[in-house]
Amino acid sequence: MIPVGLVLTGISLFPQGIAVADRPSAGAPVRSTLPFHATFTDVAAQAGITAKFVQGNPANRRYIVEANGTGVALVDIDNDGLLDAFLVNGSTFAKSPLPPTNHLYRNAGGGRFQDVTKASGTGRSGWGNGVCAGDFDNDGFTDLYVTYWGRNSLFRNTGKASFVDVAEAAGVAGSGTDWSTGCTFTDFDRDGLLDLFVVTYAGFDLKSTPLPGQLPTCKYRDKPVFCGPRGLPFGRAFLYRNKGGGKFEDVSIASGIRKPQGFYGFTAVAADFNGDGWQDIYVASDSTPSLLFRNNGNGTFSEVATESGIAFNENGTEQAGMGLAAGDANGDGTLDIVKTNFIRDYPNLYSNLGKGFFEDRAVIAGLAVNPQYLLWGAGLEDFDNDGLRDIFLTSGHVYAGDPAEPWATSRLLYRQLPGGKFEDVSAMAGAGVTERQSSRGAAFGDFDSDGDIDVLIMNMDRAPSLLRNDLKSSNHWLRVQLQGVVSNRSGIGAVVSVEAGGRTQTSVVLSQSSYLSVNDLGLHFGLGFTDRVDRVVVRWPNGKAEAFSGIQVDRPVLLKEGSSQ
Amino acid sequence: MTSAVLALLLLAPDPATLSRQALESAQQKDFPTAERLWKEALAASPGLFEANFNLGYMYQSRGDLAAAEMPLRRAVRSQPNDFNAQYILGAVLSKLNRTDEALKHWRLASALRPDDARLLQILAVEYSKGRYFRDAAQVAEKALASKPGDAALWLTAIKARQDADEHPLALRLAEKMAAAFPGNSRAAFELGYELVRAGRAAEGLPWLDRAMRSPTPWEEPFYFFGDTMLKEGRLDEAKRAFQRALELRREYMPAWAGLARTLMSAGELERARDVLLEATSVDATHPQPHLLLSQVYFRLGQEDRAVEEKEMSSRLRRARPETLESIPGRNFPRSDAAPPAK
Repeated sequence: MIPVGLVLTGISLFPQGIAVADRPSAGAPVRSTLPFHATFTDVAAQAGITAKFVQGNPANRRYIVEANGTGVALVDIDNDGLLDAFLVNGSTFAKSPLPPTNHLYRNAGGGRFQDVTKASGTGRSGWGNGVCAGDFDNDGFTDLYVTYWGRNSLFRNTGKASFVDVAEAAGVAGSGTDWSTGCTFTDFDRDGLLDLFVVTYAGFDLKSTPLPGQLPTCKYRDKPVFCGPRGLPFGRAFLYRNKGGGKFEDVSIASGIRKPQGFYGFTAVAADFNGDGWQDIYVASDSTPSLLFRNNGNGTFSEVATESGIAFNENGTEQAGMGLAAGDANGDGTLDIVKTNFIRDYPNLYSNLGKGFFEDRAVIAGLAVNPQYLLWGAGLEDFDNDGLRDIFLTSGHVYAGDPAEPWATSRLLYRQLPGGKFEDVSAMAGAGVTERQSSRGAAFGDFDSDGDIDVLIMNMDRAPSLLRNDLKSSNHWLRVQLQGVVSNRSGIGAVVSVEAGGRTQTSVVLSQSSYLSVNDLGLHFGLGFTDRVDRVVVRWPNGKAEAFSGIQVDRPVLLKEGSSQ
Repeated sequence: MTSAVLALLLLAPDPATLSRQALESAQQKDFPTAERLWKEALAASPGLFEANFNLGYMYQSRGDLAAAEMPLRRAVRSQPNDFNAQYILGAVLSKLNRTDEALKHWRLASALRPDDARLLQILAVEYSKGRYFRDAAQVAEKALASKPGDAALWLTAIKARQDADEHPLALRLAEKMAAAFPGNSRAAFELGYELVRAGRAAEGLPWLDRAMRSPTPWEEPFYFFGDTMLKEGRLDEAKRAFQRALELRREYMPAWAGLARTLMSAGELERARDVLLEATSVDATHPQPHLLLSQVYFRLGQEDRAVEEKEMSSRLRRARPETLESIPGRNFPRSDAAPPAK
């Protein structure tokens, strides 16, 4: 029986809290019949990574803060050449004597991790969201910034297997009431010190946020759900300039970063997207236009996402942007962007046409064939080392209880074929990919140092997945780790081009990407049959290029700024 | 009572007679007399069904909807099982933009004549407007079962399934309709659309082609074909299709945007700019041409103009948010034009 009072709303749109593009599958699925040699197995439990993620009340999520999940990081914390795992945890409104905390797992080698949370000093509790990495004090050890609904943390790496939260002293803790999500270290003024960009998701507090169903923005497809993001006060962006000596100053207003209004910010990536030698910042925004802060090279930024073609989808519709991957997808030397979106939509593949103009090529590339997935984490990596970057995506719904739109869904893996099309090879890539979870953040890196890219994934209400890539292939590879001298020590923002076998591959060192997560700061390049690298060109964040030669394949290489012959 | 008054009462016609006389006057288009006689009849017998119904129907026919409501309400109160009274009262309330009340009376009418295809079709349309898409689809298919030769009913049922996001069912209906109406270009379009949507472009494109060859062409097949070509990178074909869509319906903004995006993809920025400027002259309040203009000017290095267009687009989006939000079912506006007769 139809409730008569509701029949005549006379509206043509869902009055709901989230932007849904309602797009059907588009374009023909790509079918190559070629084998795919990378298979993924979840080895988290056997590796000892067992901490459970907590995100509110799984039985009844009444607030949006309980649904968005968190990021993870695969970074080498102790400079032993092995990637360690950092998990940002959420919280719960229920009182607990042992509230959930972040977790840091040290890679002990041999596929085993050791929980060093307590000793490391990173085990803060609270509503954590995202993480970004970089050596902000240029002491040779990677530091971590963690965003919260509440005060943010800057965990300075002491180099002695421990961290100290220096956020307050450094001036980057935030107001204590903001809901910060995306963050990225970036040297926007090219002074060799990593500055810090932080974006908040929404103005949010329990007192003023209505309960499920109370407002039109507290509904999804006419059913009551937690409210937002639409209807909540918008987020804000912050830029902190690193003054040195462990101090930052808030330059959000002077730099123009604060000027754009009307967004719900998630993942942030910083890189030189228009090739002018200055670091820009792109933010995936939920149900609002995404933001591209173009660095004007004079301490100011202009927001140009709409003009650049990466604020909306190709129809001009706002999307629920979540995660980001950046790198050269098509081998033309420019940085392209993959953005994940809500269900009934597909990811964007923003192809950089040069000078920072973008065109969404998701449909033609074969990425618009799975709109039934709500996507979060994204990796633009070469998982089978064939020299072409593939795309790995994590998925999972924010609302539970509708069998037509399940809470837990599998991951998606698209391999790139020659010609730039992507083929869905999820079903061929092992149980780690087909495993159903409601996942959010994902970090990409070679944790077992066997020459292929593995994946660490945040799962809602569960322990993480650690997907070990068991690549059966003789393809060659190279991992490039940078060490800045004039530039920031981590090389954040540096663009690396590997010339081998007549082709050039390009990637960029990112402080944050995927979904609120951190990939290995070393860059992985698959080389296919090519067993010789002609040269590696590094465009450092200060704008200068440096060419390195004599580099061997199938191993990690450390390139120090100014050391080329 | 005086004897004179009594005599007058005895001489006065009874209400039923007055009502009959009123009907005769109405049939002779003497509406003032008809109105006076019905009112006299109702003064004597306020619940007289014939007088209430016919007076209300006369008002409704003459466009005086507000006046029609009360006698029709009295009519359905005295004879709730009268199909026509319930149906016409529903129509009056619908035209008064009180669709929830209208639906109530249409449902009562439908219960009296469950197989009345016309009413079922109306209910399907109204359910769709209220976003009860599955109910709309069920009602439409019920109507179809009683009148399978009615092409408009097939299209109503297909649209209802599309709106309900039940595209496999919409595809099945479209296949049946295309088989039942082989020369109907709208059926060909719906089948082509659903096949392409299902990722079966190779099968769908010939049906779209058939729809585009209709002797009474309309813009939708050309737009959808162009959009498919643009997504596949077949820019020349996309361009031609969008241009043809615009020849057929100049104010069809999705086709302007599609043509501009095709030209941008082809690197023809000046032409894209000219097309978009023309689009703004067709509809000055639509945000999309301005959004695309901001991108074209940015690429042309005219950053100030790019910012102006961005801001204009943003303002217009706030004023008309529906223009750049997708709607369920087809993610582009449907044509309001009737399907071509066949």
